[in-house]
Amino acid sequence: MQTAESGAGQPPLLEARGLSKRYGATQALDSLDLAIEAGEVYCLLGPNGAGKTTTINLFLGFVSPSGGQALVSGMDVSTHDRETKHRLAYIPEQVMLYRNLSGLENLEYFASLGGKGSMGRERLTDILVQAGLERDAADRRVSEYSKGMRQKVGIAIAMAKEAEALLLDEPTSGLDPKASNEFSALIERLRNRGVAVLMATHDLFRAKETGTRVGIMRYGSLVTELGTDEIGHADLERVYLEHMHD
Amino acid sequence: MIRHGIRHVIRKEFTDVLRDGRFRWCSVLVGALLLVSLGHGWVQARQAQREHAAARATARDHWESQGEKNPHSAAHYGIYAFKPRLALSFVDEGVDPYTGTSVWLEAHRQNDFLLRPAQDATAAQRIGALTAAQVLQHLVPLLIILLTFGALAGERERGTLRQLLATGVGRRDLGMGKALGIAGALALLLVPAAGVGAAAIVVGSPGPAASPLSRAAVLTGVYVAYFAVFLALSMAVSAWARSTRTALVILLGVWVVNGLVAPRVAVDLSKWLHPTPSALEFAHTVEREMASGTEDIARPDRDALAESLMTQYGVDRVEDLPINEVGAYLQESEEFGNRIFDRNYGALWDTFERQGAVHETVAVAAPLLAVRALSMGLAGTDVEQHRHFATAAETYRRDLMRRMNGDLTANSRSGDFSYQAGAELWESTPPLRYDAPTLGWVLTNRLPSLVVLGTWLVVTILAAAARVRRAEVA
Repeated sequence: MQTAESGAGQPPLLEARGLSKRYGATQALDSLDLAIEAGEVYCLLGPNGAGKTTTINLFLGFVSPSGGQALVSGMDVSTHDRETKHRLAYIPEQVMLYRNLSGLENLEYFASLGGKGSMGRERLTDILVQAGLERDAADRRVSEYSKGMRQKVGIAIAMAKEAEALLLDEPTSGLDPKASNEFSALIERLRNRGVAVLMATHDLFRAKETGTRVGIMRYGSLVTELGTDEIGHADLERVYLEHMHD
Repeated sequence: MIRHGIRHVIRKEFTDVLRDGRFRWCSVLVGALLLVSLGHGWVQARQAQREHAAARATARDHWESQGEKNPHSAAHYGIYAFKPRLALSFVDEGVDPYTGTSVWLEAHRQNDFLLRPAQDATAAQRIGALTAAQVLQHLVPLLIILLTFGALAGERERGTLRQLLATGVGRRDLGMGKALGIAGALALLLVPAAGVGAAAIVVGSPGPAASPLSRAAVLTGVYVAYFAVFLALSMAVSAWARSTRTALVILLGVWVVNGLVAPRVAVDLSKWLHPTPSALEFAHTVEREMASGTEDIARPDRDALAESLMTQYGVDRVEDLPINEVGAYLQESEEFGNRIFDRNYGALWDTFERQGAVHETVAVAAPLLAVRALSMGLAGTDVEQHRHFATAAETYRRDLMRRMNGDLTANSRSGDFSYQAGAELWESTPPLRYDAPTLGWVLTNRLPSLVVLGTWLVVTILAAAARVRRAEVA
């Protein structure tokens, strides 16, 4: 993991420049400008169809932009697919794993594909424990895991990759409050290690608790941006609802 | 050298497949069927070979101990010839159950082959007679489909494809790793079976030497290519299909067309394009032409032959000839019959070969037909090798008749019906020595099938590579 924030003159770890995506007649994302530095947790809020997942897909290179650029450490995702992916980790709404493999074997597999194949099983087990999984669960098949446990393996995958930037797509959706709090604590620890986090979420409370900045999206556009230390929970809810009812 | 990412995908896929209960059950079933069919085929081939050897020895013994008799009576007494079972015939019995494996060689007739198990089998027996070739041609591709249809479609449906691609692994590495991992799991099933087959050839090859190990090596290569076609095709469909259900339905459709529809179409199309007479029609035609000749082939004229011989030997009466005119006439009749047989059987064989060519053409739409032709060819049980043996047996029959008629002609006089030859003549007649075709002969014969299978392999691999490269994440 990166242990210090990006220095002066360094490009932001995640940056969108006029990033747009059109699917036929639908403008899924419209000229998004965004820059996330090391140690920042940027929460994208918005209803379904606002363009949050499209933004993440564009950073992952799963779809090509109709306009603009998605940059990771200054490198355009469209032209540096492999290099940018090696700097990113991704945790979806539901971390999906291989049921016939144990949590440790899943982590071993994803870590090795991410270029961290040399980590021993001991080290990987430690990472699973750091991510909140019980040590004795590591060797159990994933078919026995709860959603919360799978999300923890997802976090462990991101930690093992030692990625500079983390993309989270509704990561706490469906988690119970305790698991959500544990998840937020983990994100906090990653942030403190200098990881830049972009999190798409519906959860205003979690965005305020975990994020350093919040962007509210609607119809593919970023309609406003706030620092979480500038506002309280109630203010964030009010601003969000105001924009949703415009 | 295998790239780093591919190695990890191979290992994971291999482990995942082995832990999958469906694979374990399917592979136990297919493996058991394969081993049972190989074992059953080998035992049958050994038994047939032993019975043929015993029958051949008995036939020879009967021939040599037939006692003193007129050589023409001996020619009618005749002898049986048995088509040798080649080493790999226990893998694929090909057309043997339909064409028969023994033929009675006698004067004036080119007989049909006998011992056709298919003729005596009930419908239930035909269905139950599963050969190793059928398991390899039908069931292993089905197993490949069941293992592969979800390779990418399943990852996409579960959502793991997004996570995988987010790690930075390339689609090509992912696809190749998955294909090789599945191939590795299949190898656990097929390599032991191939080992059992090789051991069966080495330990107790039931057939005569006709480069059995080289044939086995090529046969292995053919089946590996066939399985690779199904693996690549399944990967391509799995990468393209929006859901696992769609991928499975498409691939099962391909399996049905390949294994059930195309062979039926090939049979009907070949019969329609190149019809063959019924056995009864064929026999009547031969009988009619033997009785009255054809426009081109006239029946021998005994009087003209006698005149010619008397002129040749400078005598006025047949009785004064230093040879037996009857023997010369019998030989001339044989040669007349031979021309009739060559004309009819030649046309029939040519029709069979044209029908075979139609099958090889239909293989463009179904690789099974190309593999089947190659498998039967390498096992020595295809129509061409049946023709090869039938020709050798017929050549032997003609030589035998020539010897009998020659002895009668040279050692007796016209009108002398008391002449009898003995053991010396029977023993001086060599037994049929048959050399099965070489591997080169078989491959040259089956070149169109090799080309078709090779084309299938290249096209499906290219299709898989193209589809996997464009596989969408959602």
